[in-house]
Amino acid sequence: MSTPEHDLEQNGPGSGGQRAQPAADELDWRRVHPVTPLVRGWAVVGAAIVILGQQSLDGGPRGGLVELITSEYWWTLLAALAAIALVGWGYSVLAWRMTTYAIGEETVHLRRGILFRQQRHARLDRLQSVDIRQPLVARFFGLCELTLETAGGTDSGIAIGFLKGSDADELRAELLARAAGLKVAKTGPADARTQPASGTLTPPAVAPAPEGGPQFAGPHDVAPPTGAPGVPAPPGVPGAPDGAGVPAVGHVPVAVEAPQMPVLTVPLGRLIASVVRSGAMITLVLWALAVVVVMIVTGEFAVMTASLPAVLGAGGYLFGRLTGEFDFRVAISPDGVRLRHGMLETRSQTIPPGRVQAVRLVQSVLWRGRDWWRVQVNVAGYGGGESDDKNSVLLPVGTREEALTVLSLVLPDLGVDEPRRVLDAGLDGDSRTASAYVTAPRRTRILDPVAWRRNGFTVTGRALLLRRGRMVKILDVVPHERTQSLGLSQGPWQRRLGVASFQVHSTEGPVGPVASHLDTADAARLMAEQATRARTARAAAGPERWMENQGDRPGE
Amino acid sequence: MTSPFEPHDVTWNRVSPRLVTAMLVPAAISLGIPVVVGVVLAVTISPWFWFLAGVPAVFLLWSILLVPRQVRAIGYAERDDDLLIRKGVLFKAMVVVPYGRMQYVDVEAGPLDRKLGLAKVQLHTASVGTDAQIPGLPPDEAARLRDRLASRGEARLAGL
Repeated sequence: MSTPEHDLEQNGPGSGGQRAQPAADELDWRRVHPVTPLVRGWAVVGAAIVILGQQSLDGGPRGGLVELITSEYWWTLLAALAAIALVGWGYSVLAWRMTTYAIGEETVHLRRGILFRQQRHARLDRLQSVDIRQPLVARFFGLCELTLETAGGTDSGIAIGFLKGSDADELRAELLARAAGLKVAKTGPADARTQPASGTLTPPAVAPAPEGGPQFAGPHDVAPPTGAPGVPAPPGVPGAPDGAGVPAVGHVPVAVEAPQMPVLTVPLGRLIASVVRSGAMITLVLWALAVVVVMIVTGEFAVMTASLPAVLGAGGYLFGRLTGEFDFRVAISPDGVRLRHGMLETRSQTIPPGRVQAVRLVQSVLWRGRDWWRVQVNVAGYGGGESDDKNSVLLPVGTREEALTVLSLVLPDLGVDEPRRVLDAGLDGDSRTASAYVTAPRRTRILDPVAWRRNGFTVTGRALLLRRGRMVKILDVVPHERTQSLGLSQGPWQRRLGVASFQVHSTEGPVGPVASHLDTADAARLMAEQATRARTARAAAGPERWMENQGDRPGE
Repeated sequence: MTSPFEPHDVTWNRVSPRLVTAMLVPAAISLGIPVVVGVVLAVTISPWFWFLAGVPAVFLLWSILLVPRQVRAIGYAERDDDLLIRKGVLFKAMVVVPYGRMQYVDVEAGPLDRKLGLAKVQLHTASVGTDAQIPGLPPDEAARLRDRLASRGEARLAGL
């Protein structure tokens, strides 16, 4: 029932590794932490409790659960729960026994599944991001789940969990170093058992200053690199600031995490204020007001109970946003941007350089007074849907300065002399302010009476900037080399007015860059030129393995 | 005023006119049945059922008029580095897909398509927003295009 093991393994001879890819049997297969089934089993028990709770709220035919608990048959309930728990944990134990993972020279392998066995091989040079997630229950045990995203669409990632916090950090360091194209020496399997993730690796141009291990909310990660506790600096790894590109190969006992520089944190007060001023909150308040008014007018109490689910839904969204973006920290490391956030479930994301497909800066109506902006990104593999809100946020709320700082982390160079002016014009300029933006002509005010002055775009040496929206202001930035395809569309009204809408197709995510109602001449020129620019930019783009010199791997 | 959908350096390839049949047959079946039912009921039971027959009949007539124009509007062009696809009469759309961005190419043909000797080529990039499909190609042309796209994509392969 297992799939063939050789499907993705051979990447052709001389594909960059020190030696040929070992066959799957030679790989060092490791198990995840033995406490994993306990943590996973909790989900089943929790679901059972929730379902039973709902039943008791609804009330059964004979008084429901409340009746049952107070009756002499209360033990049946406990027995049922125990049985469910047993089944849940039993299944999780089986699943744990069947789950193994291995890190190859250029691939990550995961085997899992009880009845339907699944093997997944992911190429490390296709790695899009590495996230470490710590749900609440796992936190009690100090365990984490490591998710490696590749660009295969929804559910294409590899989730390795659960692991001990320090193991997860080491594994992440190893994966990132291998994905970056650093040569990683391997120790024997015996060593690897006692000391997981014992690949030896040294990010170049950085002193070994590990971050503070698994304590997500701990103070270590903002501590200065010198004197940081954790993994001691191995003797074989000097600071070597000049040793860029010359990784130490040899006896280096510990996987070294690339050091990170904290860039900014989002204060709790501002986060709360931003959620209070968010669009969802406005909707919620208006909705509640409407319900109250209707209730007073009609005198019907049922209006409130009928609207309760909608209110709970909106409230749940706001609560999720608050807890998900709690204690948001942004840091930069040679391996890319590091994000760390969450209250109940903490997430630590690493997005390597060149993996950001598009960036959006957005300002909702009530944020304007404070000049706050939210920064979202498209990263292939984060996909759409619910995870959008959790994963794709680069900065939940920040001042203009902070938002632009974060933007510069993922797109360091816009290829323009005065980036600040261009960005400012994109953030809140319109066609009345003189700028480099090509804007929609005045005749389109029929099509977009509110925001027609904002619709526009500008092209810099490295990226395409598209702005729009007046109530909710949006600036999208798409690096030329990340353009997937371009689209042009024109409806009957637009044809009469001689305008057309231009779209850049990016990977799935919150950012969908468009420039609406451009003059046909502008649109046609943009379409033609952007195709050329995207092509030349791709040819000059950096390698997939961000620490490898370009030209080492002509195939990439 | 020049149309942005007519780049000057491009000669468009048209799709097979048989696509008109392939598009009209399903429409005729799905809309024709209510028309027939409505007519029968109107004759036998009540004249009010003419409405039941009339509405789908109008839609059917509309599509009979429109589909040939839509099919004529579909065009594709292979340039050196990208593929252009355009479509639409009232709502025009054009998409430019660089060969190096292609992730995979689908060739599909349903039973009716096969009967008529047609196939559909669909290009997929890493973006779900890329709506790049060319319906109504003769199978030979579809296969040629698929191979050509695949080889050009390989030559210009980039990551994401």
